[in-house]
Amino acid sequence: MPNNSTATTPASTPAAESQRNAALPGAALVGENFLAAPIDGASAHPRNFVGRVMSVWYRHVRVYSRTLISNALPPFLEPLIFLVGIGMGLGQFVGTMDGQPYIQYLAAGLLITAAMFTATFECSFGTYIRLEFDKVYDGMLGAPITANNLLLGEIVWAATKGFVFTLAVLIVAMTAGILSPGWILFAPVIGFFTGAMFATLGLLMNAFVKNINQFNFLFSGLISPMFFFAGVVFPIENLPRAAQPIAIILPLTHPVRLTRALAGAGWSPELWWSILYIAVVTAAMGTAALKLLNKKLVD
Amino acid sequence: MNTDIIEVNHLFKTYRDTRAVDDMSFRIEGPGCFAFLGPNGAGKTTTMKVLYGKAKPDRHDSTQLSVFGYDPRSSELNIKALAGVAPQDDNLDQELNVLQNLQIYSRFYGLGTSQAAARIDYLLEFMELAERRTARVRELSGGMKRRLIIARALLGNPRLLILDEPTTGLDPQVRQLIWDKLRSLIKTGVTILLTTHYMEEAYQIADTIVIMDKGKKVLEGAPRRLLRDNIEAYVLELNRPERKDELLGMLQSNGHPEIRVEDSGERVLYYAGNISHLEDLGSHLAPDEFLVRPSNLEDLFLRITGRRLNDAQ
Repeated sequence: MPNNSTATTPASTPAAESQRNAALPGAALVGENFLAAPIDGASAHPRNFVGRVMSVWYRHVRVYSRTLISNALPPFLEPLIFLVGIGMGLGQFVGTMDGQPYIQYLAAGLLITAAMFTATFECSFGTYIRLEFDKVYDGMLGAPITANNLLLGEIVWAATKGFVFTLAVLIVAMTAGILSPGWILFAPVIGFFTGAMFATLGLLMNAFVKNINQFNFLFSGLISPMFFFAGVVFPIENLPRAAQPIAIILPLTHPVRLTRALAGAGWSPELWWSILYIAVVTAAMGTAALKLLNKKLVD
Repeated sequence: MNTDIIEVNHLFKTYRDTRAVDDMSFRIEGPGCFAFLGPNGAGKTTTMKVLYGKAKPDRHDSTQLSVFGYDPRSSELNIKALAGVAPQDDNLDQELNVLQNLQIYSRFYGLGTSQAAARIDYLLEFMELAERRTARVRELSGGMKRRLIIARALLGNPRLLILDEPTTGLDPQVRQLIWDKLRSLIKTGVTILLTTHYMEEAYQIADTIVIMDKGKKVLEGAPRRLLRDNIEAYVLELNRPERKDELLGMLQSNGHPEIRVEDSGERVLYYAGNISHLEDLGSHLAPDEFLVRPSNLEDLFLRITGRRLNDAQ
């Protein structure tokens, strides 16, 4: 193969590309409209990195918004049920928690658990179904995107859902007068990064499960316990002393801390640890998930 | 100067303990249609997947891969920007309609909204799906889904179209329609690479056929030439195997060394270059006991591998 050297260093500029094409049979077709098809911009160039990742994101947005009614109702309904049922019902007996009305304390936590649940579901069950049952990835990988682009698109999509779900809880809580406008308006940004972190967790689990039911271990073993022991329904300082270090390493603890800061607790330097935790854990789990899932996507 | 569209040398691919592709080499100069023919498990799909980076070949020093001058191991994106792929499984988005399925994929190819709309209109017309544009995928027949998958593969205006079993499981009319579409694509200079286990499909549209079995290439060439060079022109099919001993005795006593016998159990086949030898043989049989016909790729496959094409593992 005489041009093996060019094959390993593909031409990167459009000019170099068209030169290459000129040397190939069928080169006359490049840039021309085959069968007089009305097309001008499609070319031999894959999209740039961001474009490729976002085209995967766009796919999910389109599929999700196809059934918008059934998809958009739960994020509003669920926090409403929780706030009414637990916050108002149980809250009457609790009174204040951490110096604030219990319903307000709970609402700030629910902002983040909403993002956690949606992102974890999306990238555990959702990804598994797309991978193993619907085989949609097999089709997508025939288009000019790589397996890594596809997986990053999943993460960005789950993070987007995290943003939206946090926003939904925020709208409900503010409409009900439980939370008042202020720094808390930035909570969906934390929801976004919470979504990204739990997306990488879900993807990582996908590399290990043998069947879809094994995700139940993730939910019963980690996600549900976190709901209670990561500072959402009561402060982790109320846990037995021995259990507190465990609560501190739970992923949910950190975005919840950041949200409580926005909700009125205020900034403190130790919150840098929470930001660092989210960044490191997301990057580490994301890298591992991409590496391991590549083996499932590429034979 | 390398003018090949595809060049593959010494390709190996192993899944756990099974060797799916075993030292495969071939070249496609194009344009035209190139078909991999073989039973299930022959390594056809795996070979295709390697070409667009969906499968990683075994590490082997002698392996050389080039698609449009790009190595799929390092430059899958460049290849996929020039090639359209229609996988074997139906992997359309069931919840979406025909139009939406194509809109989603137009983004992967970087088409803007108006560009995509024009392109999609054209492709729906071309694949005769325009009336079903708002139909949900689940409402489509198998043939329509297949056509939609091919339309999807054409979104990026590819110069190479990779089709994995494009007509498997479809009725003869739809199969003809798809063949017609593929022929008109070939006329415009698109190179088509397809896999099939229908010898008729390979015979109808392929310029070159690679016959594969157990991961290896067993024969390669233009279909008519392959038949001419490798198998007798005619065959007599004996439908009553219980008469084979009688015929064998007859062949031995009459001395018909030019007749070759292939006994596959339920059927016995008698091959000869000269049709009159077979007609002689047939004169000893009742009309409903035999059929004399030209030989085909199925016969060729049987001759080379000792197995039939369609009795898949």
